[in-house]
Parts: sequence; structure tokens; C-alpha cells
Amino acid sequence: MLDTQVKSQLVQIVDKNRYLDQPEELACYAYDAFLVESLPEAVIFPQTTKEISDILKTASRFKIPVTGRGAGTSVCGAPIPIKHGIVLCFSKMDEIIEVNTRDRYIIVQPGVVNADVQKALAPFEFFYPPDPGSMNTSTIGGNIAMNAGGPRCLKYGVTMDYVLGMEVVLASGEIVKFGSKNVKDVTGYKLSSLFCGSEGTLGIITQAILKVMPKPETVKTLMVTFDDLDNTAKAVTGIIGSGIIPVAMELMDKLTLNAIEDVADLGLDRDAAGSLIIEIDGDKETCDKEMKKIIGKLKENGAIHIQEAASDIEREKLWTARRSAYGVFAKFAPDIISEDITVPVSKVPLMIRKIIEITDKYGLKVGILAHAGDGNMHPMIPADKENKEEWQRVEKAFSEIFQAAVELDGTLSGEHGIGLAKSAYLPLVMNKDSIKLMKKIKQAIDPDLILNPGKFV
Amino acid sequence: MTKKILQNCGKCGLCLNACPVYKILKEEQVSPRAKLQLIKAYDNNTLVSSPLLKEIVSKCLMCGSCAASCPSGIDHYSKFMEMRKNMVEDQGETPAIKSLIYLLASEYRIKLGASLARAGQKFVPDSLARDYKLGNIPLKNFPNLNSIPLRKASEEIILPNKKQVGTIVYFTGCATNYLYDDTGLATIGILKHMGYKIIIPKDQTCCSIPLLFHGAAGKAFKNITTNINALKGHECDAVLVDCSTCGEALKNEYPRFLENKGQNPFDANIISSKVIDILSFIDQNFDRLEFDPDFTEKLSVTYHAPCHTKNTFQSHIIAESLLEKLPFVSYKRAVDVDECCGGGGTFFYEYPELSKKMVDKKIENAKAVQAKLWLTDCPVCRMNLAGNLTNNDDLQVLHPVSLIHSALKLT
Repeated sequence: MLDTQVKSQLVQIVDKNRYLDQPEELACYAYDAFLVESLPEAVIFPQTTKEISDILKTASRFKIPVTGRGAGTSVCGAPIPIKHGIVLCFSKMDEIIEVNTRDRYIIVQPGVVNADVQKALAPFEFFYPPDPGSMNTSTIGGNIAMNAGGPRCLKYGVTMDYVLGMEVVLASGEIVKFGSKNVKDVTGYKLSSLFCGSEGTLGIITQAILKVMPKPETVKTLMVTFDDLDNTAKAVTGIIGSGIIPVAMELMDKLTLNAIEDVADLGLDRDAAGSLIIEIDGDKETCDKEMKKIIGKLKENGAIHIQEAASDIEREKLWTARRSAYGVFAKFAPDIISEDITVPVSKVPLMIRKIIEITDKYGLKVGILAHAGDGNMHPMIPADKENKEEWQRVEKAFSEIFQAAVELDGTLSGEHGIGLAKSAYLPLVMNKDSIKLMKKIKQAIDPDLILNPGKFV
Repeated sequence: MTKKILQNCGKCGLCLNACPVYKILKEEQVSPRAKLQLIKAYDNNTLVSSPLLKEIVSKCLMCGSCAASCPSGIDHYSKFMEMRKNMVEDQGETPAIKSLIYLLASEYRIKLGASLARAGQKFVPDSLARDYKLGNIPLKNFPNLNSIPLRKASEEIILPNKKQVGTIVYFTGCATNYLYDDTGLATIGILKHMGYKIIIPKDQTCCSIPLLFHGAAGKAFKNITTNINALKGHECDAVLVDCSTCGEALKNEYPRFLENKGQNPFDANIISSKVIDILSFIDQNFDRLEFDPDFTEKLSVTYHAPCHTKNTFQSHIIAESLLEKLPFVSYKRAVDVDECCGGGGTFFYEYPELSKKMVDKKIENAKAVQAKLWLTDCPVCRMNLAGNLTNNDDLQVLHPVSLIHSALKLT
């Protein structure tokens, strides 16, 4: 619990019903979807930039760690207050400030849920492309802090590509703004790109201007199955190699597909060794042309069954099921570890073979799920953390998977972030001087190291 | 052991968006995910029982939306009920909830309570009243009690007007029996019109959901046994409920409860397999309905999907398509048709401010579609929605059966 002097200052900034510090309450802000838990000493729900500035001034004065939290759906431990202190929870700062589809932007507070942005844009026939699996729950502030991705980022790009500008409160309490409502803006450093993906270690995002896109005229979704996982992966590289960029290309292996079918009952082919969900969009003529080419490539690579979603409802069901994949794996074991390695798309078949080889070697069950079109893979291993012997095997396997990805010119994380989960592996992809540069930036912006301490920097 | 089971929550957070209480409060601690974490901490003795823990655990409508949306297949119901029981044992219960449980635990007491209340004309036990409001509902808006309880007023066996096509066992629930006999009379009328023989077992009593939700498992067991004995052994095509929460009890809770208690769930399983909600039943028997040809004026109607209709029977979609099929209805869909109204058994009484926020949003959206009738197949939702309308609102809340029954051709 925080010192009474500190508490009394904080309670003057926000009224006391937005300040929690009872053990029953604190226990609920110690976790996200990752495995580690660590209790905060206080949870504060700010509602204005001014409040956040005042909170950070107090935190700076008393050198108290401050960790931001949206909906707590991170899978790498980013919002876990590993050094305790204050959790700043943005869920109540959830106002959509302006929807402007004529100038193609939307301005939101950090606690707005991604799906609510979509709902606000839908009447204007616009949408916001980044679509993390958690989009129905996760907040824009969290999405930006983690530079979230999602299936349709294959065509549309990730969160960073949609942040036009932001307002940020620094550790000192200073309020800074960068970017504007313009897609073209080369005024000074592009600092929003630095803060986007900083995982709350550089500043607290209090407002964001996001670029939005008009909805395409046509959307087509295919569900494809294969009797061989290798062929499934080769079909992906074949399609991308032919110059088509689908909206999304989701690969699932047999274990994943069956786990999803168990809960979603979509009538998927349970015997398929591999499957793809492929979505394309655009005007009708282009879609038809691309679809023809895609089907050709699928057949070339031995696709057994190709079926198009007949309606929007069917498509939505398919995506809802796909988004539940992380959760459905939880039933296999007390714990689940989902990784996020990413390799150039031509290396996808090789990487999948590597994953299977490594998990086989360590006698582990694995489900492979991938945003395959951009090489972003989520091997998921169900295990029991309390089983020391098994857990050692899990750690060894992941370490080898990381190593294999790096050898294939890949990277540690495509969209989940580093958080607590992967900070130890950072030297695999960044040399000493690069890590040193990150630390210098961190020290320059947050000299007392109070913002989300104990993470990758 | 408990820990192992509970650890299978992957903490993915998909339940946050499903939870009506989280969506209003936007505080993690009331979310289903947090409740599971708290239960785990309590079971592991890392968190001790406290009034605050009880309050957090009780801030829940027991609507089942979390379980319905949980990709890991967690049985939130059983876990929450067990935890509520522990909290009541540790922390005690408020006098008002205690008296409600006392009342519902015996059919004799429900009857007595009802006739005492009838003397005062309104269903308002004084001990529950709070500044002329019961929870979020002004007292004057509470429904009158049935002048005679439905089951007393009806025969135990009712024969159809025409050639018999089958037999239905009708579980009326307390609300229809004591408060909303219009629902019961319409249900009976529709069944007779279709050609069904109706059995209304006299010995049935409170389904026990309120008891289970308030941690009174011992009293619930008595009611469950009584109901199973009343419902079993009839040659019938279906066991019908007009309230989806009673349906949740018969369909899911009875077998689970008995199994957990180490009792033989054989009869409960048979009953469970026959339970159907009235709207699905009407939909399946739609061809047996003959409507009054003079009923030509199109009524503008909207619908509120009760949580258990949605989560237990998944029949809210059927309900909507049924309404669209009715020749005398112009169905106006509200944007939040399947959002919770905040009634939640006794939730509207325990957390009036929270509940009020939820119901006001529902009312706003129902008014926006300019419907005259607002249909819903749960008595608590009905009481909550109707009770929060003002005199200026030109909207009437009814069970869908009342509308359908009134449009039937007389035979």
C-alpha cells in the first residue's frame, strides 16, 4: 500500500471512488493474459489529461512506478506492475471525441474499445483496420502502446500505420502533442511512431488521432482445407508470391482447428491437416479476378476443399471462432503459452517444420496458428507451469524456436510485444549498441525510470 | 484441486465484453475473469473472506453471458454459486435477501406471503421497501398480484379444444403463478388452440434459482426434489417453461446440482432433455396456429432478449424471427435487443444505481424504434422494464404469448 502522504495527494486528484487499494481489488489488476502476476499498491482510474499529469507529477516526486492498463488483454505481461506502485487504468476514459470521415480520421480517448471505434465508423461505411484478436475488449490506448496487429494487417498494416497524432503525458507530468489530423506530416521527428509500441515505458497516451479507411465494396472469405500442413504453408507463399495481397490469410493446424470446432461448431473438416481462412476485399471485378488466381494457387498446392462464406453472418462466425483460438487452448492444460515469432513469408513452410521438429523433440503438444500471409506465427503450447520438469522442456523449446526464427531472418514478436515474456531474448535480435540506444532514449524521457519499470528497457 | 480447474481460465479477457456489469462499471474487479481470480485466491487462502469480497462476488447478474462466450468452456455458474454460498456462510446475508429466501423455500410460505400482500394489493413485502422504491423501481409501478394464483385457478389437466396432438407438462414458475397470470392464461390458450393436452402439476414450486444464486443450496435441494417429483413420470412431448430462468434451472442446474451432490440425476436428466422455452415451442408448432383474419392492423413491436433466453436456449434469434413471421406485427429491432436490462433476479434491488443505468439505456433504445409493444419472455425483465417506464412513455411491456394469444382465431 502507498504511503499515506502519497495517497492523500492522489485522492485529491481523483475522487476516492476512482482510487482502489483494498487487497480484494488490487488482486484484480495483477494480471493480464500472460502467466506472471504482481500486485499493484493502488489502482487509479483517470478521466482527464490534467488528472494524469497531476498523478505523474506526484509519482515522479515520490519515485513511484506507474504502469498503464487498458483492458488487460496483453499476452506478454506488458500491463503487469512487476515493480508494484500505481496501475493507471484507462477503462473509464472512454470517450470518442470526434468522428470525421470526410477528412478520414477519428479522435479517441485511450480507454475506447477497438470494437467501439468500428461501431462508431460503421454508419459512415468506414472502418479502422487494426483488428487484434482481443478487439471486442481491448482499448485503443493499449493497442497503440503495444502497436497491435491482427489478421487484416497483412493488407492494411499495423496500428502504427494508423496513428496520425497523439497527446502524451510524460513522467514529469508535462503534456506533449505530436502529429496532426493530416496523413502527410513531416514536421519534426515522427514521435508518435516512437511512443507507439513503447509498451508504456516512455509516456502515457491520453488522446489519439487515428486514420480510418472507407469500407471496401466487396468482401469475400474462403475456408480452405488441406491434407498436408506443409502444402498449406506452401499455398500461402504461392499466393503472396503471385502478387496478390489478401486482407488476411490465417493458417490453422489440425489441433487448432479441432479445438475451435469443439466450441464453435462451424462444421469444419476435423480431419484436415491444415486449413486457411483467406479474405480479400476491394471492388467486385478485382475481387473476382483475384479469387480466380487464389483458387488456382490453392489447387496447385493440393487444396482439398475450398468453400466461400455465403453470408456476412457466416463470415462473422468464422472470424469469431478464429478470435477465440487463444481461449480454446486454455482447456488443454492449466497454462498456455502463445508465442509470436515472425519470419519472411517465403520462410513460413520452413518455420512450421522447425516448430514441429522442436516441439516433437521435447515431447510437447503444439497448436500452430498463424497470420501466415505476413509470416506472423502463434505456436501455442499448453502446459502446466507447476510441473517443473515439463516447464523446463517448454522453456527450452521456445528458446530454440526463437533461435530458429532469427536464423530465418525472422524476429521475436510480430504483434504481441516483448513485455515480461521475451525481454531475456532481446539480445537475439538487437545488438548491444542498439539496446543501449533504447536505454538512452528511455533515460532521456523518463529519467527516474518510473514508467512501467522492469520491462524490456 | 480447485486451483487446477480454475487455472484453465486463460485470462484472455473475452468475457469482459460479454459481461453487462463490466460494460457499465468498466472496472476489472467485477468482470468474470476477475471473479475467477478472486475465487482462486480465496480457495488458496491468499485472500481472506471479507464484506468487500462478498460485495464484489455478488455484483453479478448470474446472466450466464460470460460462460456462453468463454472459449475455454468454464462453468462460471457453478463456480459463482459455490463462492456465493461460501460468502453467505462467512459474511451472512442481508435481512431482505434472507426473508426472500425464507419465502421462496416453501410453497406454503410463498402462498401465505402472496395472500398477505394481496390484502395490501401490491407485491411489496414491507421489509424490502426502500424510500418508496424497491431497488430501482418505484413502488407504484409494481404489478398487482393475481387475484387467484394461476395454478389454483386452473385445472391440473386441461384438454384441448380440438383433436389432441400431444401432451405438454407446464412448469409455470412463481411469477406466472402469483404475478403475471396473463402469461399463464395466454400460454394455456395457445396450447389448447394448437391441440395439446396440458398438465400443470399442482406440487411444483419455486424453481430454486434465487436460492442457488444466493447461496442457499440446502433449501434449494428441497425445492429441486419437490419439482423433479412433480414433473417426472408424465407421458409428455415436452416440459414447457414460459420463463427462461426457470428453464435454466430445469435444463442445466438440476442435473448439475444433483451430480455435484452425489445424487442420482436420472430423472433430472430426462426432464432436462424435454425442457423447451415457450417461444421455441411456438416456433416449432407455428403451422398449428390460426390467426384471426380480422386482425389486420399491424402493431409495431420490439423485443428484449432475456439473458437466459439468450444463453440457455439460444432462442432469442428464434424469438425475433417468430415476431417477424407474425402477420399482424411490424417488428422493430432495437440496437441493443440482446443487452441485459439489469433486472437479474434481485440485482435491481441490490444495486439499484447500476441497474438503473442499464435499464434506462434499454428504454432509450426501445423508444427510438417507436414501438408500441415491448415483448419479453422473462418476468423479472418485464417487471424491471415496465417498472422504469414513466407515464409519458407510450410503451407497454408484455410476454410475447399475450400478443400471440390475443390474435388467435376463436375455435
